[in-house]
Amino acid sequence: MDWTALTLSLELAAWTVAILLPVSVLAGRGLALARFRGRGAVEALVMLPLVLPPTVFGFYLLLVFGRNSPVGALWQATFGHQLVFSFEGLVVASVIFNLPFAIQPAQRGFEAIPADLREAAATCGMSPLRSLWKVELPLAWPGLVTAMVLTFAHTLGEFGIVLMVGGSIPGETKTIAIAIYDRVQAFDMGAAGTMAAALVAISFSAIAVTFVLSARVGRRLA
Amino acid sequence: MNPRRLFLALAAAASLNLAQPAAAQEPPVIAAASDLQFALEEIAAAFTAESGQVVTLSFGSTGNFARQIREGAPFQMFLAADESFVFDLARDGFTRDEGQLYAEGRIVIQVPEGSALAADGTLESLRLALGEGRITRFAIANPEHAPYGKRAEEALRHAGLWEPIQPFLVLGENVSQAAQFALSGNAEGGIIAYSLALAPQLESQGSYALIPAEWHQPLLQRMVLLKDAGPVAEAFYAYMSAPGARAIMDRYGFTLPQG
Amino acid sequence: MTLSVALQATAPIPLDLSFQVEPGEMLALVGPSGAGKSTVLRSIAGLWRPERGRVAVAGETWLDTATGVNLPPYRRHAGVVFQSYALFPHMTAAGNVMAAMARPRRAEAARLLDLVNLHGLADRRPAELSGGQQQRVAVARALAREPRVLILDEPFSAVDRATRERLQDEILALRAHLGMPVVLVTHDLNEAQLLADRMVVIDRGRAVRFGTTAAVMADPAALRALGIRELAAMLPAVVVRHEEDGLARLDTAGGPLFLPGVEGAPGTRLRVRIMAHEVILSRARPVGLSAQNILSGVVTAVQAGEGPGVMVHLDIGGEEILARITRRAAADLGLAPGDAAHAILKAMSVARDHIARDAADRPDA
Repeated sequence: MDWTALTLSLELAAWTVAILLPVSVLAGRGLALARFRGRGAVEALVMLPLVLPPTVFGFYLLLVFGRNSPVGALWQATFGHQLVFSFEGLVVASVIFNLPFAIQPAQRGFEAIPADLREAAATCGMSPLRSLWKVELPLAWPGLVTAMVLTFAHTLGEFGIVLMVGGSIPGETKTIAIAIYDRVQAFDMGAAGTMAAALVAISFSAIAVTFVLSARVGRRLA
Repeated sequence: MNPRRLFLALAAAASLNLAQPAAAQEPPVIAAASDLQFALEEIAAAFTAESGQVVTLSFGSTGNFARQIREGAPFQMFLAADESFVFDLARDGFTRDEGQLYAEGRIVIQVPEGSALAADGTLESLRLALGEGRITRFAIANPEHAPYGKRAEEALRHAGLWEPIQPFLVLGENVSQAAQFALSGNAEGGIIAYSLALAPQLESQGSYALIPAEWHQPLLQRMVLLKDAGPVAEAFYAYMSAPGARAIMDRYGFTLPQG
Repeated sequence: MTLSVALQATAPIPLDLSFQVEPGEMLALVGPSGAGKSTVLRSIAGLWRPERGRVAVAGETWLDTATGVNLPPYRRHAGVVFQSYALFPHMTAAGNVMAAMARPRRAEAARLLDLVNLHGLADRRPAELSGGQQQRVAVARALAREPRVLILDEPFSAVDRATRERLQDEILALRAHLGMPVVLVTHDLNEAQLLADRMVVIDRGRAVRFGTTAAVMADPAALRALGIRELAAMLPAVVVRHEEDGLARLDTAGGPLFLPGVEGAPGTRLRVRIMAHEVILSRARPVGLSAQNILSGVVTAVQAGEGPGVMVHLDIGGEEILARITRRAAADLGLAPGDAAHAILKAMSVARDHIARDAADRPDA
């Protein structure tokens, strides 16, 4: 069991969730409420990482963040090391790649709230912020938790992008998924199997949680 | 579950291990060609036992590492399987100097148990099997960026088998993966590194035979310290020439440069 | 504290009307489906913005497109009772009521729930309350806002008839506590006539008629938009006693009425809705008829319409009722203003929900 890799993966997942939680609330609610002409295009854009092959994504990320890009050069100048091949680079890639997982379920959660409840909140004197806090979040939170759990689990398993953007630097970018790959190449099936089983267990729990919560959203608003 | 509580728990978990210590305190990361998978692990362990210092090893194909080093990957030392990569990096200013030859490698044909192929270093068994259509898959490392793959190609060309074997080739990302494929049971065999075939983990899984060294360009394996190399990497670099390390390399089938 | 509303729009539905509601007064917006009634309510609450318009109440201007004023709903003190109640499912009844308070006070919430007869149910969730109870919570919540205007959007359309009658009675009783203008949207003209002081008939976004309930409900031109069979008048009556056969004897200015299904102890003041097309007229007091209810009065007007009918206005001891008969019949009887006539009404013609309490201090209709 490569504990460093597992810790790295958990940290990456935790950071991704922490950054995407406010994004999830704002974008999920925004898309649920908005009625503008470009809405379909925005939704498609959000879904894009879901259908793009990870290597394509990784390739473009390298182009945008690599050492020869403006972003990469700026990062190097500011922090003294590259954005690619670093943990921070993985976080950036992970946040972008997880947008559909973070936004979609949250959006569904907010959409499930009947419009007249929001109107009632407004006529009760609640500003949009207060309405969000007192009415919408308490009703939409299962969707938000689903979003965060899916993001967490997905990040744990991400391989292609992590490899392309991060390399496989032990202690920095060698996540558990890569560690499994590495152990297989080293003919260490035992270690690979242990780590794989751990990932399966975590992913399974994540799915179970989301199922339970999806049922709760329905019951809450009945 | 209260959403607020969940968020705090996640934040706490994340912040627990946030501090990224300065590079000087972290063990240096050494990039090594995959043929050194087992040999270098042993050498690193011996190094740590003797000096108390720790290095972190990362294995992959030589070409891949060269690319990553050019893109700024934070390796401190590079052990390539083909010295031309080291010379290129040195010329472009990524290394301290031109490095040092640390070994010469060999390729072998490796076949798993029960294969239609025999472990025949002359590749006659392979020629026969190809002719009789008994080959479904044959593994080598990717010649594009893995030196051991390139040498495998050269050997196959020398034997006039490169064209006929094309439809059956399976390319590994690096020579370790090629070994993986060769022994997985889904291929009749492959051409891999001698050092891998000698490893205890593989020895029991099949049989192998050396391919004549004249059939391909030599595998002159060169190591070099990179720009940001620190004292621990330097120590390890020096250790590679120590008797203990040499003995291990010898056990893994590497021919050692004199002196 | 007067509410004044003026709205104009072309899309999504055409609108062009204006009206005023005095404090303590209830205005009913009636009209066919799609006429724009709910849109008007939403404009007052700030949930919809017309192309041009002005909404002002109690000295505050909530909307004025001319000067660019448009307060968002949460800045307008409008108490809204939604057709679907729109109670917050994750809060208790008390929680819902307190949600509308600037400074939530549990005691105040309890007081409001008592006011709407929901004592003891403060800690129930909406899912644990019946439709009628949810409706009451919605009313309490609207009142908790300390609104300048109370808006009721088809508040009773989703409950059964028995509950609806009870709720209507309660709203009438509540009127005594409400000092603000109340706007009610309903498609049920019976309800409008029972509850409202004034009415606006809306057809395709325009106000076809605006006036007191009695006047509007007697106006065939107005009611053409609503259905001519809705013409009716409200007759005040007092309960005298309940007979053993199930009928109750009521006293009116024009004579006794015997009606079934009347609730209330002797002395209770009621208003009875008498549909114009259910009234038979005769010049002489008839004998040998099955009908028990014969009221005597004087003809004040005979209005001819476009069809074969005429509307006869009868003065019954100071109150007016309407009778719709054929022109031929009017000619046969030779009815003219000033003639004495009798109005005959089957006891069975007056439906139970056409009888309402007389609210103690309602402004004169």
